[in-house]
Amino acid sequence: MTTRAGLRPRGLMERLLAAHGWVVYVFFYAPIALLVVYSFNTGNRVNTFQGVGLRWYRAIGENEPLIAAIQNSLVVAIVSTVVATVIGTATALALERFRFRGRRAYDAVLYLPIIIPDITMAAMLLVFFVQVFQPIGINLSITTISISHIAFNIAFVAVVVRARLAGLDPVLEEAARDLYASRWQAFRRVTLPLIMPGVLAGGLLALTLSLDDVVITSFVSGPGSTTLPVYVFGLVRRGVTPLINAVSTVMLAASMVLVFSSLLLQRRRGT
Amino acid sequence: MEQPAVRLARVEKHFGDVVAVAGLDLDIVDGEFFSLLGPSGCGKTTTLRMIAGLEFPTAGAVEIYGEEMGLRPANKRPVNTVFQSYALFPHMTVRANVGFGLQMQDVGTAEIADRVGRVLDLVQLGGFEDRKPRQLSGGQQQRVALARALVNEPKVLLLDEPLGALDLKLRQAMQLELKALQERVGITFVYVTHDQEEALTMSDRIGVMSGGELLQVGTPEEIYEHPATRFVAEFIGETNFVPVTAAGPDVVALADGTRVPLAASHPAGTELTMTIRPEKVVLFPPGGEPGPPAVTLPGTVTRRVYLGNSLFYDVDLGAVVVRSRQENAPGAHHFAEGENVVAAWEAASAVALDQ
Amino acid sequence: MTAPGTPATPGLERAAARATARRGAWLAAPGALYLLLFFLLPMAILVVYSFGTRTATGRTLLEGWNLESYRRLFDDVVVRVMWRSLWLAVLTTVICLIVAYPFAYYIATRTARLRNLLLVLVMVPFWTNFLVRTYAWRVILGRNGPLSTVADWLGFADVRLLFTETAIVIGLVYGFLPFMVLPLYASIERMDWTLLDAGRDLYASGWQAFRRITLPLTMPGVIAGVILTFIPSFGAYVTPEILGGAQTTMLGSYIQSQYLGVSDWPFGSALSFVIMALMLVGTVIYFRTGARTV
Repeated sequence: MTTRAGLRPRGLMERLLAAHGWVVYVFFYAPIALLVVYSFNTGNRVNTFQGVGLRWYRAIGENEPLIAAIQNSLVVAIVSTVVATVIGTATALALERFRFRGRRAYDAVLYLPIIIPDITMAAMLLVFFVQVFQPIGINLSITTISISHIAFNIAFVAVVVRARLAGLDPVLEEAARDLYASRWQAFRRVTLPLIMPGVLAGGLLALTLSLDDVVITSFVSGPGSTTLPVYVFGLVRRGVTPLINAVSTVMLAASMVLVFSSLLLQRRRGT
Repeated sequence: MEQPAVRLARVEKHFGDVVAVAGLDLDIVDGEFFSLLGPSGCGKTTTLRMIAGLEFPTAGAVEIYGEEMGLRPANKRPVNTVFQSYALFPHMTVRANVGFGLQMQDVGTAEIADRVGRVLDLVQLGGFEDRKPRQLSGGQQQRVALARALVNEPKVLLLDEPLGALDLKLRQAMQLELKALQERVGITFVYVTHDQEEALTMSDRIGVMSGGELLQVGTPEEIYEHPATRFVAEFIGETNFVPVTAAGPDVVALADGTRVPLAASHPAGTELTMTIRPEKVVLFPPGGEPGPPAVTLPGTVTRRVYLGNSLFYDVDLGAVVVRSRQENAPGAHHFAEGENVVAAWEAASAVALDQ
Repeated sequence: MTAPGTPATPGLERAAARATARRGAWLAAPGALYLLLFFLLPMAILVVYSFGTRTATGRTLLEGWNLESYRRLFDDVVVRVMWRSLWLAVLTTVICLIVAYPFAYYIATRTARLRNLLLVLVMVPFWTNFLVRTYAWRVILGRNGPLSTVADWLGFADVRLLFTETAIVIGLVYGFLPFMVLPLYASIERMDWTLLDAGRDLYASGWQAFRRITLPLTMPGVIAGVILTFIPSFGAYVTPEILGGAQTTMLGSYIQSQYLGVSDWPFGSALSFVIMALMLVGTVIYFRTGARTV
């Protein structure tokens, strides 16, 4: 620790780095701050302040398609997060703690959903649903959106949980077995509690990715099954209004609440 | 004959091309403190894990009190392990850690509390029940690991270098404590270590391993006084190696032809190594040495090192240089470098080795 | 009871290994099946579609496989879009790297408590909606936005900021900077700082120590950051749609228009497949060469 502090670049370099840091933070936060500020503008144009009020926030409540989109987003996010977290955790366990045929191939394939461009994944899923699902009567809907979200979230959850699992000394599980625990008991009483921060982090990541997703969802959603980001995307293309600012601010606030509560949870668990 | 606590019959373990344990046959006596001693990588930990059920032999059988273990996993064997890194569950208190095995065996809550309390008193950690492992010192963690294993009253307790992470003074104190504990509790201990002094201190019998093979099994005295192979002689304590050639029944010749008595029945001309411990080589001023049957050879002190409680001398006998260790007893004559001396030893103190 | 010297019992190890493998396979099965059905199969169908033909009504004819779509990849229009995407992605990645490295270095050299706080402050924008963050720049760069106002004051009349390549790059940098910062930070933080001590002891100047010790040792972080920034930038869709214009079409939008606009699915599939293949190959190559420097 003293070594690292002792290697802090001295004098001018240190001050330049600090200044650079400040600039970057301003760069990060200024646009968001601006967005929030302008959402309280009661006028019709985004950039010229005509009054301060909650007009546009009230407008959210009256916008039915918007409310429907929010509901869809939440349903899809919760379903896909839960399913992806369970499957992703099981996958991480299998890859990290077991040796079976095809493990290496599976390992490689698992990283694909993370690496391939969103647009390709979107196209793939669209042609799949049209080719395979539509003939059997399942149209583009919340179902197809959920299926798609689970598909990419499994990989993300698996990677996060796996990292946590890799840092867990297998000797702890051996000790549990030595103390008469069955495999399931060893998992439930020793492994799971110790990887729980990773599982929660993976779940949070999945939730965020699902709530955020625009490209894939816009490809595989049908009429009546829009999610919030896709709906907002549509609004933005049509033009800039303070309504979007208000919606954005609400979305921002929701994300912050989510992040801070997860951080508090982590702190209490003592990670 | 009484049933051995642990029997290993032709046990082998291969990891791919690497032979970790090669054809091991071993009986561990009921109630004894048995140590597996050897350098790192010799297969001792692998052997221990095969007894525990954490690994399965590539060939051979493991029996515990007459029952062949076969494919029985660790949680179905009447043994418990104290791991080298202690492996305490970091998210559980000391009480939960120690009681874990009992919980897994569906023991009643009241009984668990009682047994946990008693075993913690046994290892002198009464009052530490609510601490978490990270709040404990190394020595305390080690005792919790011990308690966690003992509370289950296993038939055999396996210990994998449990004292390695402790500092010297603590380690030495714990060695005596462990030995006393074992005598009190009466359980068979199988103890793995690379520290020969530790093995000598605590064990009823020692099994010396190297390269996956069990080289010699015996009491500390047997192993020290009558090493079976060059490796064993060298690994335990200090020793001298003198190249000799067999020259008739119970006689060997040094490199310069001098004949010396040594218990050996090899055909004349066979090349052997005579090994003798430094403390068995006693130095006398010329003219003051004992007569036969002691072996005496004249030589010169080429090096002298003062160690406080003892001194050692390197003595050039012409054919070979041997080391002599002398206790720093009151009134003993200390020799100087360059001094002429006579080195003497009892013929029975030396051992003939094939290599 | 077996006496010492009796023949050994073979096969225990193999039996145990097989049991473990079976259990592992069962655990891995749900994920594997899911990805097989909803990832690999779609990928296969995509490839099949790329060999199809577009009918006059915009439907896809799968009979009569041909490479027409792949030939069209070399058309001027497509090549131009690809180059633009490549160029903007490279620009974004380089800018992110230059901005992120000193930033990550600064954070990594603070005390533990400050480091955590600073990291959380980086993560917060990261956790907020990407769309919202990009939209913020639409507002800022707009005709009556704050930057425009400032430009007016400074005398640059009527500067067009929005719907340009510059706007896209700003948006991409803004969106993906955290993706560059985090791996860099992880790599720098993990470095053995006593190595720099050793370097100083061996007469290295600050810059030399950085170039010969710090930089090579943090290369894994650089590689990870570059990959995590370049790939999404290359295939970006949302940012160019919001901040770009008709003149600045990138691959993402181009592909989208094949599916939901022009309805030329074979061509769209060929494009999607090629961009994915390029990314995969690029990643593998980059990993290999990058790994060798470490």
